[in-house]
Amino acid sequence: MTDEPALLRARGIAKRYGSVVALRSVDLTVEPGEIHALLGANGAGKSTLVKVLAGVIRADAGSIELSGEPIHPRKPADALRSGLATVFQDPALIPDLTIERNLRLTGVEPARVREGLEGMGLGGLDFDAIAKEVPLPILRVLDLARALVHDPQLLMLDEITAALPADLAERVFIAMFERRDRGRSVLFITHRLAEVLRVCTRATILRDGRDVAAIVPGEGGEGRLVEAMLGEVAATAAEASRAEPRIAEERVVVEARDLTSRDYLRGVSLRLRAGEILGLVALEGQGQDRLFDVLAGDRPSDGGELLVGGTPVRPRSPYDAIARGVVLIPSDRAQALLPQRSVRENLASALYNRVGRWFSLLRDEERRVDGVIDRLTIDTRAQRQARRLSGGNQQKLAVGRWLAAGFEALLCFDPTRGIDIHTKDQIYGLLRELSAEGAAILYYTSELAEIPLICDRVLVMYDGRIVHEQDAASADEAMLLGAAHGLQGVGS
Amino acid sequence: MSATTGDMTRSVAEARRRWLRMHGWTIGVWVLLAVLLAWYATLIPAFGSFTIASIAKNSLQTVYLAISQGVVVIVGGIDLGAGAMMVLANSISARLMDGQGFGMSMVISAAVLAGAALLNGFVGWIIVRSRVPDIIVTLATLFVFSGVALMILPSPGGGASGGFRAMFTGSAGGVGTNYWPSLAALVIPLAAVSVWLRRSPRGLALYAVGSDVNAAYLSGVNTARARITAYAIGGAFAALAGLAITAITANGDPRFTNAANGTLNSVAAVVLGGIALTGGVGSVIGAVAAGVILFILNPILTAMSIDPNTAQVIRGVLIVAVMMTAGLLEVRRRRTE
Repeated sequence: MTDEPALLRARGIAKRYGSVVALRSVDLTVEPGEIHALLGANGAGKSTLVKVLAGVIRADAGSIELSGEPIHPRKPADALRSGLATVFQDPALIPDLTIERNLRLTGVEPARVREGLEGMGLGGLDFDAIAKEVPLPILRVLDLARALVHDPQLLMLDEITAALPADLAERVFIAMFERRDRGRSVLFITHRLAEVLRVCTRATILRDGRDVAAIVPGEGGEGRLVEAMLGEVAATAAEASRAEPRIAEERVVVEARDLTSRDYLRGVSLRLRAGEILGLVALEGQGQDRLFDVLAGDRPSDGGELLVGGTPVRPRSPYDAIARGVVLIPSDRAQALLPQRSVRENLASALYNRVGRWFSLLRDEERRVDGVIDRLTIDTRAQRQARRLSGGNQQKLAVGRWLAAGFEALLCFDPTRGIDIHTKDQIYGLLRELSAEGAAILYYTSELAEIPLICDRVLVMYDGRIVHEQDAASADEAMLLGAAHGLQGVGS
Repeated sequence: MSATTGDMTRSVAEARRRWLRMHGWTIGVWVLLAVLLAWYATLIPAFGSFTIASIAKNSLQTVYLAISQGVVVIVGGIDLGAGAMMVLANSISARLMDGQGFGMSMVISAAVLAGAALLNGFVGWIIVRSRVPDIIVTLATLFVFSGVALMILPSPGGGASGGFRAMFTGSAGGVGTNYWPSLAALVIPLAAVSVWLRRSPRGLALYAVGSDVNAAYLSGVNTARARITAYAIGGAFAALAGLAITAITANGDPRFTNAANGTLNSVAAVVLGGIALTGGVGSVIGAVAAGVILFILNPILTAMSIDPNTAQVIRGVLIVAVMMTAGLLEVRRRRTE
């Protein structure tokens, strides 16, 4: 250990963007043949550190050594040459090119990527498909397979599992273990602590742009990781009080009767009641995207009935759905917000439809927006533009818009994807508060552990149908996962 | 697992649909061109090799400009200076070639092409470095290049050698029935640039940058080089359009209207040809067909004895009609999906 140099040794890495300090001083050491977790709350500097190591941005200070040799990656290609391959948080695939051309663009042999994909159960992927038409989870795995072709000394995975369903995440872990067994290393960034406990040998924890702890995850468990990530701040955040069982009102806000849409929905029926949070669980590609599209008015259904407040409706656009109080919180914050406008304007944007009384509206708008900012504790000081907010604050903003405008039913599609536990906890609290006030909330999540934390009831979707329903409090992950895989005879 | 992979596995019908969707616009524009050509053939009394030669050589200018603009738009930029570069190349070559033989003309052509590529590559470098939007920098070059053209050749004039004229027109006099040289001058550069764009990593880099510059950078694409390359190629093709004018007319015409018209026609050809102004989508092959269509409308409308002013209106309406049809088809496709 002492004779052999560490695979990666970064010292004193610092980076500031204007007045914002992203990294104060970070040391990171990765040994050969280990899966090393890089943890931290949103804004702790994880992605910045990865970008520095990968040559995307240059650090203001600090040094990087790879196997004892100093390296100075100036662009991603440099890092790749010295044996550092990265799967970034945003997919590095060109949306308008086919997969094959994407691979050729980076000088990677498509056949070798195909081999890698076969190992991950995606051998049948059509390489003539245009990247933007391929589902995000598949793109993430493809990105990984492309990085693996270079057989890097160190593979850096920035939140690769955030968008992955459980089965694909499993394949990614297997690929990581394979690297480890061959003496290669992986730097793994995730918000899912269970994954860290399972796959990582060591963890470096960042807080406010510094490395605050190096921990062996096996010793001390989740609690210790959380403590290190959050500092003195409520370390109990992860142990967020479980949703207390409540009796939902009987009033049904949204009801679907046998909804169909092409091959995606094969007859979905559900009742979303006022005052409840209804969880939805599904593996990738089981029709959950389409269900949300139909409920939010983004696409018409082919058949079946949709009732809002007991009245049959056929929303032809999101505008129709919103007018009836059915609003969507997408997982992609960028899709919901006006990134270049201010926080206030974003909050007010949902009010712009009401043009009736101009002058009273302006005063009214001011008041409502102030109320929402107070309630959500969005930090509005430095950040003028919504795009400069952290992911968690952006998601609060997305919810906040509808708070300002008022709504009946909130459709949340994986709203905590890639958000740190502290902010997650705030979002859980907010949603529970809203439901206590009578809002009906449909909550799809790719993270099964969230279901008992926040939901009252849970539905499992498989192959375009609801296949399972039960009380969220009694749901355990194995049971839900079984149902999501279409296994019969689980649960009730 | 089958549920995850099932949707993405190969299916012949799906592959065919996708192929049509990717190339539908290009095919559509070429079909429209074929229809217009067939129609034109019925309109005039004698449709023969003379007419073909005339169409082939006279559409060279718009075709080259369409390629020039197309390459730049694919990378996500726009070159308002393309028309001015054409006029500049026309003025310089007509002035220098006047009284020279074929050999010297070739040397001058090569120098003009290389100079144009360097100059416009420099324009691309300014855009990349200064981060001033493409449209502003190239608006400036539109004026600058036009002005320089007028400084070099204050009024129409100059000349070209017979051999040089034959390269683009098929005859030393610029008028004849041999259409092969004109067709070759049209097809060879087009084939070269489109194969390069679609097959080579450097060419694909242009699409990558136009489609998503961030993802391209993360993929290891040298985004600055891709943009500068696009402007350099665009400059060379704009200059080629200028050389073609010199060959066809044996004259240099430095007037600003030529530059402005050239730029506007090139943008029209690119849009009509299915290259997205947002970058990353479309092919120069479609833009070339659109360039020929924009040219051939003139003789068609003349043959129908329609007033030239009306012809302008019809040209504009055609562009909007094609764009609307494409838009409606896209909406319908989305709805059925």
